[in-house]
Amino acid sequence: MIGGLLLLGSCEVEYHPYDTRIDGETGIHAKQITRIEQACAGRTALRFAVISDTQRWYDETNAVVDALNRRDDIDFVIHTGDIADFGLRTEFERQRDILNRLKVPYLVLIGNHDCLATGEDIYREMFGEFDFSFSAGDTHFVCLNTNSLEFDHSVSVPNLMFIEKELRNYPSTCRKSFVLMHASPKSEQFDKGLVNSFHRHVKAFPGLQCCIHGHGHSYAISDLFEDGILYIMCPQIERRAYLLFTVNDQGYEHEQVFF
Amino acid sequence: MNMSKYFFKLLCITALLGYMSEGYAQSTDSLSHRKLDTRQHQGYTGWKRIVPTHVKAQYAGGMGVMSVGGGWDYGQKCRWETDLLMGYLPQRYSDAFHVTFTLKQNYIPWSIRCHERFSIDPLTASMYINLIAGDEYWVREPDRYGGSYYRFTTRMRLHMGLGQRATYHLRNPQGVLRSISLYYEFHTYDLDMIAKCTNRDLKFRDIVHFSFGLKFHLMRQ
Repeated sequence: MIGGLLLLGSCEVEYHPYDTRIDGETGIHAKQITRIEQACAGRTALRFAVISDTQRWYDETNAVVDALNRRDDIDFVIHTGDIADFGLRTEFERQRDILNRLKVPYLVLIGNHDCLATGEDIYREMFGEFDFSFSAGDTHFVCLNTNSLEFDHSVSVPNLMFIEKELRNYPSTCRKSFVLMHASPKSEQFDKGLVNSFHRHVKAFPGLQCCIHGHGHSYAISDLFEDGILYIMCPQIERRAYLLFTVNDQGYEHEQVFF
Repeated sequence: MNMSKYFFKLLCITALLGYMSEGYAQSTDSLSHRKLDTRQHQGYTGWKRIVPTHVKAQYAGGMGVMSVGGGWDYGQKCRWETDLLMGYLPQRYSDAFHVTFTLKQNYIPWSIRCHERFSIDPLTASMYINLIAGDEYWVREPDRYGGSYYRFTTRMRLHMGLGQRATYHLRNPQGVLRSISLYYEFHTYDLDMIAKCTNRDLKFRDIVHFSFGLKFHLMRQ
């Protein structure tokens, strides 16, 4: 009995796997975006890494954090969704604790697995809004929730109103844009009725470089609408690879880096 | 990790003690010595079998903040128990108020009567299924997914636990209560066990949670 009671210190109670009692840091995006915008202010060149679908791959997520921390040429890291596999609070917490080891700021988009059960509530509290944007120097990043299937058409996903607002309020200091999402417009998650209007909106962003997404679990580059706008798919972390984007006055380059 | 190892060592030692005590009890029965395991099943017969033999209240355990319910023990030494519990998860810990239902099966192999009024159960093993009520949870995926998309249920979880109990046996043989037990358990559940199997970085202490409760053993009326 006594021995068991001594263990109390190292174990926590759990009310329910899907409860929303978040242990640890919340409101991450607001803080990380401030860091990125301050660090990159006035710059026309930057380098960022993209990781995706780290769901339940804790060993690999730890390994990519170690690999990224060994570099000193990255400004920030973007995770294109599916941080959780079953939408469990503990999955969000474990992944957040691993990503918090990154030396550089990071942001996490919402994936379809992150929406399961109470996952949406946990995501919102831990990271922030489902649709958000930020600027790094003269480059604007628009991050969108494209997991239409998870919202059962009860709200407009993707949120075209948000995109229109972004276009109207496009920062005067920016000349280049990246649009990021979890599920691509051609995936089963995406609302079929919004595919063309979504892409039309996306194309309107000044100096659009490319669209970056996850969900498909492998590395791929597709000209989905055959109009020269590339959709670059980041592999899931199980492939032990991340994408590295280098942006400068001439445009951007990207490569897949194995770790 | 050290604490986890310590816990399993503790369980092994207490389980061994329980086993030895049973052997001791059997070997000394013939000498009319006091039994160490004094448990005796006092079940009902006929339709009265549906009358619960105990009621329980449990804190946490993946079945809500608090759960209450009743159950039945069986076997010559009440080694087996089946409980039906109902719990709640308040809105402050979730998106809305939720009720949960639990079917719990316990196995208590040994009991050591260390005092006239006290006994210790050195090992309890339990397995339970918990269901949570609410629109956002499903057993079968909603039709919009068009068949098997996620291939798991968010509504139902299978938990497993190991723990111990301490029991106070009441003096009053005419009353309703026979004994009161305080129990605790360390438990984990299906999805976390899957995660542990595929991740070396995930420690046992990451997937093991603590719960405790009270059992009120009822006198046969």
